[in-house]
Amino acid sequence: MTAPPLIPAALLVTLLALPAGAALSWSVSQEKAHLFARAASVAAFLAALLLLVVQARGQWGGFLALDPLSDLFLFLVTSIHLTSVWYSRGYLSDVHEPFLLPRTYYALLAAFTVAMLFTVSASDLGLLWIGVESTTVASALLIVLERKVASVEAAWRYTLIASAGLAVALLGLVLLYQATGTLNIRTLAEAPPPFSLLVGLVVALSLVGFGTKVGIFPMHAWLPDAHSEAPAPVSALFSGVLLPTALYAFLRVEAIVPQGGPLPLHALVEAFGLTTALVAALLLQEQRSFKRLLAYSSMENMGLALVGIGIGGIGLYAALLLVVAHAYAKSSAFYCAGNVLRATGTNRIAEVRDLRHRMPWTAGLWVLSGLAVTGAPPFGTFLAEVLLVAAALASGSPAVAVLLVTAIAVAFLGVNHQLGGMVFHRPAVPASPVLREPRDSVALPLANLGVALAIGIVSIPYLSPAIRAAAQLLGGLVP
Amino acid sequence: MDAPEALGILGVGILLSSLYLQSESFVGPQVTGIALQSLLLAGFLGVLAWTEASVGLAILAALTVLLRVVVIPYILRRQITAFRWRAREHRAAHRVTGHALAAVALAILGWEVYSLAMAPAITAPGTALPFILLLEGFLMLATRGNTLVQVVGYLEEENALIYLGALFSHGFPLLVEAVVSLDVVGVVLVAVILSIQRDVAGIPEGAHVEELSG
Repeated sequence: MTAPPLIPAALLVTLLALPAGAALSWSVSQEKAHLFARAASVAAFLAALLLLVVQARGQWGGFLALDPLSDLFLFLVTSIHLTSVWYSRGYLSDVHEPFLLPRTYYALLAAFTVAMLFTVSASDLGLLWIGVESTTVASALLIVLERKVASVEAAWRYTLIASAGLAVALLGLVLLYQATGTLNIRTLAEAPPPFSLLVGLVVALSLVGFGTKVGIFPMHAWLPDAHSEAPAPVSALFSGVLLPTALYAFLRVEAIVPQGGPLPLHALVEAFGLTTALVAALLLQEQRSFKRLLAYSSMENMGLALVGIGIGGIGLYAALLLVVAHAYAKSSAFYCAGNVLRATGTNRIAEVRDLRHRMPWTAGLWVLSGLAVTGAPPFGTFLAEVLLVAAALASGSPAVAVLLVTAIAVAFLGVNHQLGGMVFHRPAVPASPVLREPRDSVALPLANLGVALAIGIVSIPYLSPAIRAAAQLLGGLVP
Repeated sequence: MDAPEALGILGVGILLSSLYLQSESFVGPQVTGIALQSLLLAGFLGVLAWTEASVGLAILAALTVLLRVVVIPYILRRQITAFRWRAREHRAAHRVTGHALAAVALAILGWEVYSLAMAPAITAPGTALPFILLLEGFLMLATRGNTLVQVVGYLEEENALIYLGALFSHGFPLLVEAVVSLDVVGVVLVAVILSIQRDVAGIPEGAHVEELSG
């Protein structure tokens, strides 16, 4: 298929704008490094938006390919990167003796994001694996920004567990290559191999391997550590788009098994997803750090998305809708967490009280973000979760539907009870000074929360159709 | 000695090197061990390249020698020199006999699992060895507290994947294999930077960090 020249040009801008911005930032002082990073983030976002608008399709040079799923993820990654970069400047200014100077920080942030963009536009599963693995290398040092004992340990665990897990995924890809003689995504999608024990093994190994990076139980140990210790804008990228990018990788492998394929394989995916959602919902009840709380909430959401993928049909659409809505809602929540951390100097839930008086804007967004990430109406996550439960019922699995509702309800109560306590409880000691809330630290979570809300109540031009097109590409149904 | 015999001997040598790594508690010999294992792997790739007249496999063999026998062991040795205390596993965390026995038990278990679950699906011969090697790498990652030993475990695991990829007659894409090798360097460099930070932060190996619980 020959694509118009506009599309490869836009794809190149999407992939190259960020490294170009990072390179140019070396020509100015550390204080001005953010200017190039911001300009590059806008360029990458606009190029990805263009690809979404023109519904870019095609394959270039044997390395890159676009289809509705790629378009959607390119847009998602660049949009969360955009807000994270714009949020970063204020956040960095409050970090005492950072491990990374601004130029290096923005360069690593760009490398991390480009690795994700490459993953979702790779035409080949081998290259896709390289993209996912590169995200680990590029992002591990970002976790150490604040030079804390815990952050160094978290970065180490992240590197080790994620790399080991991805080795399992690579084993799966090696076996897939043996079975089919190709790793090209389009070739495999157009002529999937007949189901065999080997294909089942490939999908199972990919589930475990890429699932490690998604944060599925029991390979999730790196997730709460890395999310809680990374700086807030990086945590937003981790939760909002890194986990979905790893899920995207699994989706590409899972696509070789046709919808309605062998039941045990889909049941395996559902079982991993359900277990992850339930375990995360239970674990988040006892969290003492609000960033760890949000991390477990991300794990729960990824578990739910995995259940949707396992169910298939409309469950696939629900999974993609959840991933998109969650990305905007969770990034908003992490920016709010960053605001609270910057202002109070603690990430302990018990040590933060009365935010509604001390940080009224952040408090409002904090509560709304909490509701959004736990599927409260009318946010997009609510719509996705309703569709997910409906899909479980429609597939003749009432037990799965009951377990889904249980996980959703337990997580909803856990997150909102804890975040609500931080906002509404008055401290025992009455002195409660008002804390500063810079304008951009409020505007960015507000913007992302607005998108998470809009997804649930209106059909957003280009974005909502893109979610539907991506689900249909994977053989899913749309409402 | 013909090529299949050479491949068999090299394969067994790779597996024996993994058992040696499990039973060694000094980090210096561990680094030498993983370099030796990588050299055997490079030899394996070289023989395969010769028998299949494959330029790709020959390049991969050369890349393996350069990165895994020379560059990475050099980086790791510098770390040992810089931080003498890191030259040995903590006694409490490492019991030589226990680890050696666990490694042998895992090899037997791995063989059983392979025979039951994977052998019926895989047609290429000799794939049990890299599968067992992969498990040995995981064992090392999971049971050791020393940062550098964990890196050695990770390298062993990646060696297993290159080994497995090379066994399939039509060959895993060279580009992917090559980048996987380069990626190992990236991970090692990140590991080294983090290990330096661990020293700066004063985190003893295997320490419990309260903030990361829950």
